[in-house]
Amino acid sequence: MRRWWIIALPLLTASACMKMGGAEIEPIGSTAHGLFITCEGNFMYGNASLSYYDMETRTVENRVFRRANGADLGDVAQSMTIFDGRGYVVVNNSGIVFVIDPDTFKVTAAIEGLTSPRYIHFVSGEKGYITDLYDPRIAVFDPRTNQLTGYIETGSHSSTEQMVQWGDYVFANCWSYDNKILVIDTRTDSVVDEIEVGIQPTSLVLDCNDKLWCITDGGYAASPYGHEAPSLYRIDPSTRRIERQFTFADDDSPSELAVNGDGSRIYFINDDIWSMAVTAENLPVRPFVANVGTIYYGLTVDPLRGDVYVADAIDYQQPGVVYRYSSAGEELDRFEVGIIPGAFCFK
Amino acid sequence: MAAAWLLLPSAARAQHDAMRTVDIEGVEIVGYRPLKDIGIQSTKMDSLTLKESISLSVADILTQNTPIFIKSYGRGTMATASMRGTAPSHTKVTWNGMTLNSPMLGMVDFSYIPAYLIDDAALYHGAGSVGVSGGGLGGAVTLSNRPADDDGFSLRYIQGIGSFSTYDEFLRLGYGSRRWQLSTRVLYSSSDNDFRYTNYHKIKQPVYDGEGNIVGSKYVEDRNRSGDFADLHILQEAYFNTDSGHRIGLAAWYMSSDRGVPKISTDYRDDNLTRTRQQENTLRAVVSWQTIRGSLKVGARAGYTYTDMLYTYRYDLTGSGQEMVEGIHSQSYVNSLFAKADAEYTIGDKWLFSADVGLNQHFVRSADRSIIVQDGSSAVVGYDQARAEVSACVSVKYRPTKRVGLAATLRDDLYGDRFTPPIPALFVDVLLWHKGELLLKGSVTRNYRYPTLNDLYFMPGGNPDLRPEQGISYDAGLSTHLRSERVDFSAAATWFDSYIDDWILWRATAKGFWTPLNIKRVHSYGVELRASIDVDLGRRWSLQANALYTVTHAVNHGDPVSVNDASIGKQLPYIPVCSGSATVRLNWRYWSIIYKWNHYSERYTTSSNDLRLSDPVMPYYMSDLSLERRIVLRPMDLSLRFDVHNLLDEEYETVLSHPMPRINFGFYIGITPKFGRGRRAE
Repeated sequence: MRRWWIIALPLLTASACMKMGGAEIEPIGSTAHGLFITCEGNFMYGNASLSYYDMETRTVENRVFRRANGADLGDVAQSMTIFDGRGYVVVNNSGIVFVIDPDTFKVTAAIEGLTSPRYIHFVSGEKGYITDLYDPRIAVFDPRTNQLTGYIETGSHSSTEQMVQWGDYVFANCWSYDNKILVIDTRTDSVVDEIEVGIQPTSLVLDCNDKLWCITDGGYAASPYGHEAPSLYRIDPSTRRIERQFTFADDDSPSELAVNGDGSRIYFINDDIWSMAVTAENLPVRPFVANVGTIYYGLTVDPLRGDVYVADAIDYQQPGVVYRYSSAGEELDRFEVGIIPGAFCFK
Repeated sequence: MAAAWLLLPSAARAQHDAMRTVDIEGVEIVGYRPLKDIGIQSTKMDSLTLKESISLSVADILTQNTPIFIKSYGRGTMATASMRGTAPSHTKVTWNGMTLNSPMLGMVDFSYIPAYLIDDAALYHGAGSVGVSGGGLGGAVTLSNRPADDDGFSLRYIQGIGSFSTYDEFLRLGYGSRRWQLSTRVLYSSSDNDFRYTNYHKIKQPVYDGEGNIVGSKYVEDRNRSGDFADLHILQEAYFNTDSGHRIGLAAWYMSSDRGVPKISTDYRDDNLTRTRQQENTLRAVVSWQTIRGSLKVGARAGYTYTDMLYTYRYDLTGSGQEMVEGIHSQSYVNSLFAKADAEYTIGDKWLFSADVGLNQHFVRSADRSIIVQDGSSAVVGYDQARAEVSACVSVKYRPTKRVGLAATLRDDLYGDRFTPPIPALFVDVLLWHKGELLLKGSVTRNYRYPTLNDLYFMPGGNPDLRPEQGISYDAGLSTHLRSERVDFSAAATWFDSYIDDWILWRATAKGFWTPLNIKRVHSYGVELRASIDVDLGRRWSLQANALYTVTHAVNHGDPVSVNDASIGKQLPYIPVCSGSATVRLNWRYWSIIYKWNHYSERYTTSSNDLRLSDPVMPYYMSDLSLERRIVLRPMDLSLRFDVHNLLDEEYETVLSHPMPRINFGFYIGITPKFGRGRRAE
């Protein structure tokens, strides 16, 4: 009978412990002028992360949320906005917006009760909006309490995305199987108008002339919603009319519209990186930066220096890379960040 | 570890146990090497292995008894297979000869296949799969049913109760006569699956003292509230033997499943306000006919499969949980017709010729979501496609001397209006030492797997220009079988090496959706080791043990997708380099105690094997313990079983952010009434 234990003992010994535990909290932080990069991570793996790039020292710190808080950022970090000295990180598939101290990266509060949040916009110190991928409503919250205070009904528009404000109106593009930009009156928190653009508007910015710029992806072949050549639109927010439409080739995929600090130039990805003056009457013929052999995923422009940052998600299953270019298109730096770097936020 | 390996032999196979009744068909005929098995690397699981517990799925059986790696999210959730470093769609699975691989996805979710509904299972490694199906770049799993050899009426009822409000009910009614064998099996498993776990991923909660001051922080104690499941299976079988040597069979299997999709541990949404569920109804039916005329064996099968699957994501608009609306409604319907004919012809004991031809006709309707189009009307995003698939195979096996066997198989697949290139496979075995049954086996194949319907037509992203994936694989191994009066020992070691090219991978496009492309090249190589021992210890004591250990390097050798691509030359994500398992069963009279151990090495979660920016899945060690007692009474046999899962109460994950339960228990009672003459147990 004892022989049985001779056999069983090595097995039990081999059953070593599996080490589960939280991340260590590190004394980390930066007061320097820097750039946050939200890295989506893989859907349903909960490995989203936040990277922080110090522009002066050209150093990057990765996973700063986790290192500062001893917890993971969550699943699909979609976007980040800094308002009134607080950083708001929207984590889409965790259904939460974390409020962090941009210097210490520590969580100070959170906005919960959301379905699938995408972007956040601040109307004032008392009111903010959060768009959603599924909920046909834009959530209204109070930044002082971080509590939801109401909703803006959008009708059948179930995919609201980016927001820009002109006067008392916030404009929000509806992307998935849609072609509208909603006009929201911030005094009544209601949709008062819609601007029809091309199929699937993906991003939205406001230039120095108070013109709204929007880029569409045109849908895809055989889509029941339709398929067309993508376009860049210049819109007058006061009349809510399209002033100019710049049409791309059928198989182009423009995305990630951004504007520089003084609002005089817009930038976007269309295989290469492109830049054009907001007064231009034609699309540029030469890229700002030629493609280096990848599919770019994110783009932003430093509002102070004019440097352009471009994210490469590589194969979406490994840490991404961010390129930094000068306003003249010269590569200044490149650095490794988390998985699927998709959005930026300057501090 | 090495010491444990040497001491722990293994291999899943029928173990004769004086206190148990073993199906005659499950007993291996020692010393006989069938022509059919020449050069084929396979792992066979008999009825005893499959019927260990009603709570086990085929995924659990494969994990414990074969080198296959199962990626599982826990009981009642998806479990997919990876064989020799390949993708789930590279393992072909058949049930009573009919393919189970989804025509949409190409893979099989083994969590939907209870082991108690299967009577025989075999895993064919690498080239061995060509005799079963084309496209098994990793291998093939065959699952089948067979008559229970009842004589008169039989009944067996098993009830199980386990942690987290888990209930299992199994009933088998049987009737057998000289010509007829009838069997009805019903299995119903349900669970709240609501286990508690310490959530190390979320922000810690503050700890307050009596005066409301924060004095520390602690991890959130969370619950897996949304992973409930309820699965019903009904399997009806009927077999009829004629006096003239014909055998006709029917097997019809209905499954209805309703499962919650567990939330990941970084989801902060209220469990009552968002719900993700997966519901599936499937009916599979196969009729078969077989006859033997001298040296000729001929058979034919026809079958039908119906599946409707619904995936929904609902969220609440009111905050009360009372007004749920759908954010995702993804519905698919599959109707498949199946027919197959096969023949075998032997010439003496040296030649075996075989041929088969099979047809699958699939009709698939996939409605991923409803949208409002620009004119205000509604439309569906999805596809509606039909495809015929034909697979034909010829094979010749030759044993020129008692020590040497040679075999060649040639298969070709037609899908839609396209042919794959021919799929050849060559096999050899040589008996090196007769007494110790030391056998050298080797095989080589060039295999092709054609794209699934989702690969071709999914909206958006389906790519109708995809080419079949292609693989070249080799393996060679030694096996031995030693016997004495009290000890039976067998062991095998196999080396495998395969190259897969044009591997179909879904890749993000600049438009934001994903599309499949023939991209990846993978070199997969490694070693499979297995051993088993069966010892009669005397005084009605017996011991059976088996162990497996597998080393798999599955390395990406594709072209870089970007100048920054660091995945070239790296192990594929979620494929463990090392995996092992062991089972020890000690029997004394009517008692048995079973210990199971299972291990995976660390698994990367990134294609670049990066450990700084994404956590790996930590090395996995799991121990389960079971105690069984059989009670023989005059009117019935009773069996009692007590299981302890996760014996060492580990906190662990098998996939990132998917918590698994800590120590948990199950208790099962089985009743087998005795009607009239002697009965046969399960």
